[in-house]
Amino acid sequence: MRFGRYGIGLLALSAVLAFRARELSAQAQIISLAATAPSTLTITVTSGATQTMAGVTDNAVNNFPAAVGIQTAWSVNPGQTNTVNLVAYFSIPAQALVGGATQIPSSRVLGRMLTGIPTTFTAITQNGIGGVGTAGGSLSLFAVSINGANKIDTRTDNLDLQLNLVGFPALPAGSFTGVLNLRAVTQ
Amino acid sequence: MRSPLRKAITAAAVLILPSTAVAQIGLTSNVATVALTATKNATLSVTPNASTATLASITDGSNVNNFTPVSLTTSWNLTAGSSVRLIGWFATPAQALVNGAGFIPSSKVEGRVGATAYAPFTGAALGGVGVAGGSLQLFSQAVAAGSYFGTRNDQLDLRLDLTGTTTLAGNYLGTLNLQAIVQ
Repeated sequence: MRFGRYGIGLLALSAVLAFRARELSAQAQIISLAATAPSTLTITVTSGATQTMAGVTDNAVNNFPAAVGIQTAWSVNPGQTNTVNLVAYFSIPAQALVGGATQIPSSRVLGRMLTGIPTTFTAITQNGIGGVGTAGGSLSLFAVSINGANKIDTRTDNLDLQLNLVGFPALPAGSFTGVLNLRAVTQ
Repeated sequence: MRSPLRKAITAAAVLILPSTAVAQIGLTSNVATVALTATKNATLSVTPNASTATLASITDGSNVNNFTPVSLTTSWNLTAGSSVRLIGWFATPAQALVNGAGFIPSSKVEGRVGATAYAPFTGAALGGVGVAGGSLQLFSQAVAAGSYFGTRNDQLDLRLDLTGTTTLAGNYLGTLNLQAIVQ
């Protein structure tokens, strides 16, 4: 009888403990998720990638035949980007165009972007921006302030180019070639 | 307690550091290029300082019939060739100078550049420049890679050699053509 009375009590306690055991839970752990979409910044020359001036005139301003179409696209974080800048530059400013032993410096090559910063023809003699470009051989073409509205955007601009030979020694006959680099950089 | 706190700090650091690493300042694009070519065309020109040479009074039977001298500037800017030559020529050699029905042929007209000897305009055309029997090469200037860009000034002397010839009184007019050529 005594066992039976205690036995029933023990069973009841076990049941309570069993139910309590099911209600036990571990300390909550959190896992923070972070997925980063990489920023992108690209430029494409849509037209005028090859500029050929057939007949250069000494001591005169010579226009390259057509504008260079440039498309710049970006997807950046506005909290981490102030501006998107486009820079044109020559790798060796003293030798922007070369023909034989004759060198035409970048100070004789002028650029204009009516939708950008140099709205009048400006010599490509500036310094680089944000590590892009060369000292004395660069030209800032545009700087776009970034905000939430344009953190993802595309713009198209035309770059006009000139060769200013006013006061420059007469060129020997022949072809003068060079490469103008275009690169965008965020700041 | 210390261990969970440490884990929490570590986890927070892990979550914060990557966002710092992806800061976008200085993000650069690809480099696009524009190829520039400017060509200076070859040139060759001859420019006289006067368009008229005159001889006030012809002396028959003499070669002392000198026209007023003409200064010539010949300029070249070349990419090839071995010589620049200046050719003088009359379009109709038999009628170098004309006075009505009176003609003085090109064989009676002589020219020279510098201190060279006078020679008549009776040579052949050269390189397609000139007229057969009515031409004279006035100079030949050697050129090479180092002298493809040059100029020279000359004095062109002209005279009539009327030795053995009698002319009708009057004005004799003619046109001497000058043209340079690269060979």
